[in-house]
Amino acid sequence: MSKHGTSALGNLEEAEKASWNKERIANLLVRNSMVFVLLIVIGYFSSKNDGFLTLPNLRTILIASAPFALITLGQTVVILTGGIDLSVGSVIALATMTSAKFVVTHPDQFWAAIALGIFVGLLAGIINGVVIAYLNVTPFVTTLGMLTIASGLAYAIGNGAPINGLPERWGTIANSKFLGFQSPVFVMITGFVVIGIVMSRSAFGLRIYAVGGNRVAAEVAGVNPRRILIYVYAISGTLAGLSGVILSSRVISGPPNLGSGYELSAIAAVVIGGASLMGGRGTIWGSFLGLLLIQTLNNGLDILIIPAYWQSVISGVLIIAAVTVDMWATKRSTR
Amino acid sequence: MLRTKGKAIAVIAATAIAVTGAVIAPATAAAKIKIGVTVYDMSSFITQGKEGMQAFADKNNIQLVWTSAGGDVATQASQVEQLINQKVKGIIIVPVQADSLAPQVKAAKAAKIPVFAVNTTLKDSSGLTSSVLPDDVAAGAQEMEQMAKQLGGKGNIVILQGPLGSSPELNRTAGITKVLAKYPDIKVLAKDTANWKRDEATNKIKDWLSSFGNTINGIVAENDDMGLGAVQALKEANKKLPVVGIDGIQDGLAAVADGDFIGSSLQHGRVELATGLAVALMVAQGKSVKPTYTYVMPPITPANVAQYTKNVVTDKAAFLKRLPAVIAKNLKSGDIANEN
Repeated sequence: MSKHGTSALGNLEEAEKASWNKERIANLLVRNSMVFVLLIVIGYFSSKNDGFLTLPNLRTILIASAPFALITLGQTVVILTGGIDLSVGSVIALATMTSAKFVVTHPDQFWAAIALGIFVGLLAGIINGVVIAYLNVTPFVTTLGMLTIASGLAYAIGNGAPINGLPERWGTIANSKFLGFQSPVFVMITGFVVIGIVMSRSAFGLRIYAVGGNRVAAEVAGVNPRRILIYVYAISGTLAGLSGVILSSRVISGPPNLGSGYELSAIAAVVIGGASLMGGRGTIWGSFLGLLLIQTLNNGLDILIIPAYWQSVISGVLIIAAVTVDMWATKRSTR
Repeated sequence: MLRTKGKAIAVIAATAIAVTGAVIAPATAAAKIKIGVTVYDMSSFITQGKEGMQAFADKNNIQLVWTSAGGDVATQASQVEQLINQKVKGIIIVPVQADSLAPQVKAAKAAKIPVFAVNTTLKDSSGLTSSVLPDDVAAGAQEMEQMAKQLGGKGNIVILQGPLGSSPELNRTAGITKVLAKYPDIKVLAKDTANWKRDEATNKIKDWLSSFGNTINGIVAENDDMGLGAVQALKEANKKLPVVGIDGIQDGLAAVADGDFIGSSLQHGRVELATGLAVALMVAQGKSVKPTYTYVMPPITPANVAQYTKNVVTDKAAFLKRLPAVIAKNLKSGDIANEN
């Protein structure tokens, strides 16, 4: 298409442009469909209960979202490479127990305890990445293994029991407030903005998309896919570690089962947000909306006193519906 | 030959007990009495229980064969089989699941090894020699009474339940419901599970605070962890409401002492599991035992929390030292949850 050719060619170009526009509109619709769904959900809950659309309840939704937000971010980056990280829930537990154990024995070394929790997450992530990138074990199997290992280690640290009696000061990490919002909310927003910009504006972000879209092509283009894979799992692990520290500070304790099952919520948020589990397609903004939708639903259904078992039915329906819409939209735009 | 010797020792021991009135076997006895234990997993309750059992075993010339099933029914079944093969003098089961182990219990009976269920019963209890079980219905009733008293028999509460359908949840909820029938002026605004977890309870209570605003007067949690999650939610919302829990874990005891909880109920693993061992020992010694011993959780109140904190946390070594004597006394009085 480098040359301006005959009118026939021009028509073809125009037709292509039109179909490209159509695809773009379809994509835009899919992306914004989540905004519409979210608005409908908010509208519904607001009409049902006066307590829903209030500032304190907004704070409640955001603080409940924060620990999930961090692992959702990590999960998005991993899923964009066509991988998956099933270990984040257990890594949360491992980080929690590591920090809790350390701070209970060294109550004065507060920052070291925080750093240690995050570091443990990073380490677990790097191990995942190396095994996946260099030993060619599939992400599903590798991170399933890490799920079990990290969970076992978390229990081992506490000799099978939760760690109690953490210093009161440990609670200040997640409970200090700014403008009425607790600190994890700001961590969450910072995370979304920073990673959102990295993914959409930087060469590094582009490489992640490239590895997920077409690994061979990416390699030909000079991207080192192995290094990228290690990076994304390291990011996911680190964010899980940070999430663990925040969670344990919020409840001022070290339960070895903290975070169990959280990985599924994170994956659900990413999928609802429109990312493809095959990799290469999806956005941080989409995952943010997916997360917000799940958390808003949890909050609203609690407010309407819908029992937990019905909540999980509704979440399940939502996940399948989101993926169905997504597949339909993809098919449409590639036709 | 060996078996007769063991019996002879048991007779001597029994006589000694009858004379001294304490469950203390002569330290000179040659062969230790081997008793097998299989627990569902190493929870904090079981970790405590192991300490109590060990303290009792050391004092009473018992060799404990300790196994943990890691939450798996099949593992527990093979552990019971192994214990039968080892010809132990008694098997204490802290079941993973009530509806399990029927063939293994039958096999133990065939091998003439007495079997005891502790903490959770087995559905097929016909093969059990005796059981030591907590009264979860009474615990639920007790915490509801504590809350009703605090509210003066009038107000709105929310209830945080254990994992729906699990036996402690069903029993504690039944106890709560039973007491609520006596107080028509106490309304349950909402009840739902937070799966024994602090983080889930925090989010649940915050959501309910949005929904009911200032109309909630009290929070009834079926365990301490969820109660502590509720306390966190109240702190985040700058509110203060009475909260009650069950279990008497370390942080729960601290919450009663600080006034964050109005009370709790003590389920002390050291006492409960060591009592199970004491009952197994009595059977090994040829004494008669009751089919069921019920552990009625003592209420934890601001008045007595200091003593329980000593027993459970700060001075547990001293408590373990006097535990064997306490248990011997309790088995006579029938109040197996007593700690003095």
